[in-house]
Amino acid sequence: MEEIRAYIESGVLELYVLGDMSAEEKLQVEAMAQKHPSIQAELSEIEKAMEMYADAQSVEPSAQLRDRVLNSLVINLGDDRNLRTVQHSNTPDTARVVPIQRTATTSIFYKYAFAASLLLLCLSVAALAIVYNRLQDSQQQLVSLRLNEQKFTRQVSFLNEEINVFRDPSFRFIQLKGMPKTPSSALTVAWSAKRKKVMVDLSSAKLPAPGEGKQYQLWAIANGKPVDLGVFDKTTADSTDMKLMKSVASAQAFAVTIEPRGGSVNPTTDQMVVLASL
Amino acid sequence: MAKKHKLSLSEEELVLALQRHDKIGAEALYDMYSASLYGVIFRIVNDTATAEDVLQEVFVKIWHSSASYNTNKGRLFTWIVNIARNLAIDKVRSKDFKNQYKNQELENNVGYIDKHNSTEYKPELLGVRELVDKLRPEQKSILDLVYFKGYTHTEAADELGMPLGTIKTRLRMAIQQLRKHFN
Repeated sequence: MEEIRAYIESGVLELYVLGDMSAEEKLQVEAMAQKHPSIQAELSEIEKAMEMYADAQSVEPSAQLRDRVLNSLVINLGDDRNLRTVQHSNTPDTARVVPIQRTATTSIFYKYAFAASLLLLCLSVAALAIVYNRLQDSQQQLVSLRLNEQKFTRQVSFLNEEINVFRDPSFRFIQLKGMPKTPSSALTVAWSAKRKKVMVDLSSAKLPAPGEGKQYQLWAIANGKPVDLGVFDKTTADSTDMKLMKSVASAQAFAVTIEPRGGSVNPTTDQMVVLASL
Repeated sequence: MAKKHKLSLSEEELVLALQRHDKIGAEALYDMYSASLYGVIFRIVNDTATAEDVLQEVFVKIWHSSASYNTNKGRLFTWIVNIARNLAIDKVRSKDFKNQYKNQELENNVGYIDKHNSTEYKPELLGVRELVDKLRPEQKSILDLVYFKGYTHTEAADELGMPLGTIKTRLRMAIQQLRKHFN
C-alpha cells in the first residue's frame, strides 16, 4: 500500500491528466489504474477537478459558432444516408436536362450561323460580280484614254513642229493664186530651201472639188522641169492643218494640178488650179 | 435562445453517439463542452477569431478520431480538453500567430474575459478569481505554464530553475487545492 501511496504522491497522475507524458508512460499509468482501484479513484478525482476548473472558467462562444461548427462536421461526414438520397434525386435530373438544352441551343445557333454564312456568300458573289464589271469598264476606259493620250501627244508634237515653221526664219510662205479657170482658188505653201521642207496649209486652202477618183498634186518647177512633191486631199482624215510634202531644195514656181488618185508622173497642165512663181 | 434546447447525454451515450457519427452526438458534444473548451482555448490564444477557428478544428478532430477513444483512458473531457489545449498551443506557437499577436500575460486574460464576456450565470464562476488568487503564486505559475502555455514539466523546471521533483509536487499541490475548492 505504501508503494501505491508513493505512486499517487509522486504527481505522475496529474501529469497523466495534463497529457504531459509519453505514450509509453501513459500505458503504464493506465495499467496501474486497471490494477489498483485506489489509483483509478485518485485519477478520476484529478480529472474531475480539472474538468471543474475548465468549467468554472468557461466562456460561452458566440451563438453563430454552433451552426458553423456543426455544419463543418455535417459537411465532412454528416449523415451519409441523407447525402446519398439527395444526390440520387438530383443526379438524373441534371444529367438529363443539361444535354437537351445544350443540343437545342447549339442546333439553333448552327442553323442561324449556316443561314447567315449562305447569305454572306451570296452577297459576296454579287459584290464580286459588280466589282468585276466595274473593273472591266475601267480598263476599257483606260485603254481609250491611252489611245486619246497617244493621239494628243502626236498632235502636240505635230503642232509644235507646225509652230516651228513660223518660228524658223528659213521658211518662206508662198501664196499660190487661182488660174483663169479657177479665179477664187488659193493655197499657201511653206517652203524652206535650207531644210528642203515643203508644207501645204490645208486650213486656208480654197481649191475646187477634185471629183471622183481624183486628188490634188503639188509640183515644184525647178530649172524649167516639174518635180512631183506628192498628192493631198482637202478633207484629210488626219485633220492636220499643215501637211508635209516631199522635199525639194530649189524651185522657181509651185503649182497644184488635179490628177488621178495616186498622182501622175507629169502634171496635167490644163488641170492646174493654183500657181505661184517666185 | 439555443440554451433552452441544450442537449445533454450521459458520457456513455455521448461516446456511443460520437463513435456512430450520429448528429445528436455532435450537438450534445457542442452543447455540453463548447463553453468549457472555448474558455480554455481563449485563455491560450487570447483572440476571438483564432479561438473560434481552433474550437472548430477541435470539434472536427474529435469527430474524426472518436473511434480512438475508450473509457480505459479516463474521462471523455480529459481526452477532448487535451486535444483542445494541444491545438490551441500549436496555433500560438505557429510562426503566423507569433507574427500577428503579442501574447499577453495570463492574468490580463482572466480579467479581460471576466469583464467582456456575457456568460451565463454560474455560481462557481464567482469563485474563479478568488480561486486563482488563492493559489499560491508558485503553484499558479506552474499550473499556468503547463495548462495554458503547454510547457512540459521538464521545460517548466528549466524555466523556473527548479528540480523536476519540486515541479511535480507543486503541480500536485495546485490541483489538490482545486479539488478542495470544488468539493
